[in-house]
Amino acid sequence: MAEIALAEQMSRVPERTVAVRKGGARDTRFRLLTLAAALLVLAIFAGVMASLLIGAYPAMRQFGWGFVTSEAWNPVTEKFGALASIYGTLVTSVLAMFVAVPVGIGIAIFLTEICPRPLRRPIGIAIELLAGIPSIIYGIWGLFIFAPWFQEHVQTWMIELFADIPYLRDLFAGPPYGIGIFTAALILSIMVLPFISAVTRDVFETVPSVLKEAAYGLGCTTWEVMWRVVLPFARSGVVGGSMLALGRALGETMAVTFVIGNAHHIKSSVFAPGTTISATIANEFTEAVGDLYFSSLIELGLILFFITFIVLASAQLMLRALEARAGSAS
Amino acid sequence: MNAATIDADIKVDIRDLSFFYGTTKALKNVTLPLHSRQVTAFIGPSGCGKSTLLRVLNRIYELYPNQRAEGEVVLDGENILTAKLDTNLLRSRVGMVFQKPTPFPMTIYDNVAFGIRLYERMAKSELDGRIESALQRAALWNEVKDKLKESGLSLSGGQQQRLCIARTVATHPEVILLDEPCSALDPISTAKIEELIDELSNEYTIVIVTHNMQQASRTSDHTAFMYLGELVEFGPTEKVFTAPEKKQTEEYITGRFG
Amino acid sequence: MMNKALYGRRKLWNGFFLTLSVLAAGFGLLWLGFILGALFYNGAVAFSSKLFLETTPVPGEDGGLANAVLGSVMMSALAVLAGTPLGLFAGTYLAEYGRYTRLAFFVRFVNDILLSAPSIVTGLFIYEILVVKMGHFSAWAGAASLMVIVIPVVVRTTENMLLLVPNGLREAAAALGAPLSSVIQSVTWRAARAGIVTGVLLAIARISGETAPLLFTALNNQFWSTNPNAPMASLPVVIFQFAMSPYEDWHKLAWAGALLITATVLTISIVARVLQPKRSH
Repeated sequence: MAEIALAEQMSRVPERTVAVRKGGARDTRFRLLTLAAALLVLAIFAGVMASLLIGAYPAMRQFGWGFVTSEAWNPVTEKFGALASIYGTLVTSVLAMFVAVPVGIGIAIFLTEICPRPLRRPIGIAIELLAGIPSIIYGIWGLFIFAPWFQEHVQTWMIELFADIPYLRDLFAGPPYGIGIFTAALILSIMVLPFISAVTRDVFETVPSVLKEAAYGLGCTTWEVMWRVVLPFARSGVVGGSMLALGRALGETMAVTFVIGNAHHIKSSVFAPGTTISATIANEFTEAVGDLYFSSLIELGLILFFITFIVLASAQLMLRALEARAGSAS
Repeated sequence: MNAATIDADIKVDIRDLSFFYGTTKALKNVTLPLHSRQVTAFIGPSGCGKSTLLRVLNRIYELYPNQRAEGEVVLDGENILTAKLDTNLLRSRVGMVFQKPTPFPMTIYDNVAFGIRLYERMAKSELDGRIESALQRAALWNEVKDKLKESGLSLSGGQQQRLCIARTVATHPEVILLDEPCSALDPISTAKIEELIDELSNEYTIVIVTHNMQQASRTSDHTAFMYLGELVEFGPTEKVFTAPEKKQTEEYITGRFG
Repeated sequence: MMNKALYGRRKLWNGFFLTLSVLAAGFGLLWLGFILGALFYNGAVAFSSKLFLETTPVPGEDGGLANAVLGSVMMSALAVLAGTPLGLFAGTYLAEYGRYTRLAFFVRFVNDILLSAPSIVTGLFIYEILVVKMGHFSAWAGAASLMVIVIPVVVRTTENMLLLVPNGLREAAAALGAPLSSVIQSVTWRAARAGIVTGVLLAIARISGETAPLLFTALNNQFWSTNPNAPMASLPVVIFQFAMSPYEDWHKLAWAGALLITATVLTISIVARVLQPKRSH
């Protein structure tokens, strides 16, 4: 039996060597293929930046830094300025965060601590469905349903409520259009809060359960455990996740375009119509005539890309730091 | 037949082998022979380097960065640590069975055929025969002959490990490395596999790493005792266990430490 | 000696904040219900087989969304067919070949930025390199702008799923003499298959609702067209156009289209969840 096995081995060896040599070439080809694909990702990024810079160049040369500080937007006289768009982008997103972050964290706390176990999966999935709804749906829902309702039931009431308070009076001044910066911010917040909830839940799971057990063991209430132990431990993750959400909110187009009002002004009231960078591009790009108009729109895109890049990159770094710490702690 | 080596009975000659994880020296100038068609056991407390030593023999450590070996490991007259050696070819001659059973996510048939298909072309009937004989040698044939098309993951732990053994012998290797093959298994499966090792040693050169001393004394012909990366003692199993030369060996065997 | 007043206060705060978080969950669910409810109510009214049989009408006339549906399906299919292999290979590089390299670090970083980057900006990129070069809008450009969204999603999920495959499996295959490419193709990919498919499904769900990049790549097309070299209609763009218009019958069609998109996206998401392997922590 042993001799037959040996003989079998000897006769197979030459074939083995050939198979290995052929496999070697195939192996290298496969590896190069994956490397090429990875480099393609870098190429896309570089391409985006390059094309934006090239496209924006005429406008940059024409307006210089004044582009960022000017509120003007006149296709006829070809005077363009990004200030109104940038203002709208930043204000809608930041306002959205004021609502979405506490609510998102609240939902995460609910799902991890309070919710009865059998309900956890369905409610968690339901919240994630909110994230899956495409932004254009939020847009038309916002335009046809939310804005009119908001105008009639909330906005008028709020304007009257603050009518006599000096600073707030101007912040929430009428007329109650229904659409406007505030409405857009609210809709953005609904879009973004499931994302914050999901990231926060993930971050909560990285907290070692011994930490929580130790706190409970000392007699802490649930809220105290969350507020004093879990959240501080997970702080950079929650902040990172929120910044990621902010990055997405900044770039949101369709949810905002329908309800922002498309006015290139900056008013003191958040109920006033305005515009965001992405709304401007979405509304005007196909109608634009003239190289300078096009180039200004592309420069808007460049500015948006720059802003979101900074926010997203910081978020990445924060989240990676948390991952590294969780990895080394376990 | 090759030119006569110093001892034709030695299949793998390990000479002055050192191993590094980054800058840490995990194996210190180990020299020992592995005899052909015999079972050699590596024993020692956790962290002594026995698994590290085993993993040099098929260069599986190269899958990871910052790990390197220095010295010589001579298989049939050829040093397998040279840079130009084809590691894939080496691994078709030196097979390995791991601590945790690792059936591939495919049918039982495809699991066993995997290694064969890498290097050989044959008719289906011939392949069927090879698979049957491999499963027979792993003492698994009777249990799976009617369900070859089922997933390898559907087997019990002990059966999965025997499947891994069948997979390894199917390619007709010359040396089989076993890294604590029974530590994840129940006593009955362990006994079956120890029987297997005994049978397989008639055809193959076997190296087994185990932290179970009784298993080492039951199954092996030669034993190497390692401690903190050094080879403390090596010799025929009976001698190492009944009349060890080094005090450290005696202390480990009698359970004074480790 | 326990301070009853202090403990009472703590319990009050606890109750207060926990109630707030229950309200937060309720808030989220409320809006979900509100949105889906409005969607079904308004969309179902306009839903009929006509949607799939007739093309988009001028205001005042009867019609459907057939050309828009076709356009969306065509462009999404192209984007997925082209983007998935690219994403799969890049993700494989990150998880298998380049796992510990600096290059992989940069690619991962850049990929995650592209993942969350404004899709309108990536649309501008495709406009510059395809539409301007070709001299006209086209479905090719539309598909390309969607592909730029598909790739980062597939890269991310592929890498994550491959990293979940235990090293023991790779070692076992390598120990049999398999070269790395065989280990990956025959064992690792197969082990991660369910997760990778989930990633592709998520990418499809994501691009189904994308509007902004299509606005100036594929533009729009009032008529039935299968020509990829010409502007092509798509559901999201048609919805945009119709909803922003003052015409009632166009509004109705916009709702129907919205319902169609949402139903598709939700179905894909649910299927992906069912297929999704359990994440281990």
